[in-house]
Amino acid sequence: MNTKIGKLLEEARVDGFLAYRTIHGFFFPYLFSRENARKLEPWKQTKAHYPMAKLLLALARGNPNRTYGILVRGCEERAIRELFKWGQLERERVVMLGQACPAELARHCECWQPYPSQVDYGKPVPPVKGSKRVQDLEKMTAENRLQWWLSHFNRCIRCFGCRDVCPVCFCTDCSMEHEKLIPSNKLPPDTSFHLVRAVHMTGRCIDCGLCEEVCPARIHLRTLYKEVNRLVEEVFDYKPGTDGQNSPFIFPGEEAMLPPGPR
Amino acid sequence: MKDKIFEPRILGFLCNWCSYAGADLAGVSRLQYPPNIRIIRVMCSGTVSPHHILHAFQRRADGVLVAGCHIGDCHYLKGNYLTMKRMKFLEGLLRFAGYEPQRLHLEWISAAEGGKFADTVREFTERIRELGPAPSFEAVPKATAIKVT
Ligand code: SF4
Ligand code: SF4
Ligand code: FES
Repeated sequence: MNTKIGKLLEEARVDGFLAYRTIHGFFFPYLFSRENARKLEPWKQTKAHYPMAKLLLALARGNPNRTYGILVRGCEERAIRELFKWGQLERERVVMLGQACPAELARHCECWQPYPSQVDYGKPVPPVKGSKRVQDLEKMTAENRLQWWLSHFNRCIRCFGCRDVCPVCFCTDCSMEHEKLIPSNKLPPDTSFHLVRAVHMTGRCIDCGLCEEVCPARIHLRTLYKEVNRLVEEVFDYKPGTDGQNSPFIFPGEEAMLPPGPR
Repeated sequence: MKDKIFEPRILGFLCNWCSYAGADLAGVSRLQYPPNIRIIRVMCSGTVSPHHILHAFQRRADGVLVAGCHIGDCHYLKGNYLTMKRMKFLEGLLRFAGYEPQRLHLEWISAAEGGKFADTVREFTERIRELGPAPSFEAVPKATAIKVT
């Protein structure tokens, strides 16, 4: 049994805890409660990567009065912080335990912070600076780069997987479903589909890479959003998911925010 | 077939309080500027969503001009600060996508600057004419793309 999580549940600090459980030899996200706490397993290093923050968001929306615990990686903590800032989750209702990512995952993700602020499990490995995939694209001529992107966008089947898995995509009305701007009878969708999504990720994308993992067309979405993040840091001087600093994208103020809760 | 002279299609988003009035002044003062620009009046340059700009390129605009009040003069106080950052970001994004960022232009034009409006349109049209027709934004790589003339 995993004692830290067990203790949180026992002491009723949380109503449920979102962590992993082995089912048929695979790691799956699992919601532990006092009732099934005996199913808790000792922590194990894993590369399994799920939209944990998105699952938490769905849980919190459905049960606004509950407090949940969650086992987070670096990117998941960033996602949850960004959701705090946008008023989608309440700080008092989330308890985080952190796990550091293995070096292999950090390298694969080119992650700038492969560990959360508080590490309860695992040993932090050094962050990766810069992004080779972005640099490789930068080396191409503009003409080739455009054709490269178009040949990728060409495969998009507009499944909305990238949007649906994204932990920081929380709007209830999506402009990518706007009939006039992105006609729904056109496949592959307009290039503006991808670029608009990239624009909407400014100041939000915490570089978890789930969009790219989930894309059935294997479009290099993460590379696109990595560049988005670089630009956001350069132009807006903001790194999404950092603590303390409020997002410059929260504009014009509190009144414009969606209230937390189910919808 | 003879080569036709390329006439750029330029879309202009002008804010109601300054730049549109500036364009009006250019008209009233009978200043000449190329007829390549189609103007859309918006309440503030800050209301121009990148979505609209990208949509314009998707629909084969050769250039997009966004114009608003000078910094500090925006009638919604901070709208044009947002425009400025947004346009800088969008330029970077277009560049990374391999699209020419020069096809996007931002200019502050006050209600008194009819001349500046005419100059801006003239210079921008020339710049786009030199760049040539915008590459297709369709998600079909060139080899298979249908040539649009
Ligand atoms: S990497 Fe993709 S899924 Fe993750 S936050 Fe960024 S856009 Fe969303
Ligand atoms: S997940 Fe891939 S195929 Fe699906 S909409 Fe997103 S980019 Fe297109
Ligand atoms: S009103 Fe002119 S830029 Fe805002």
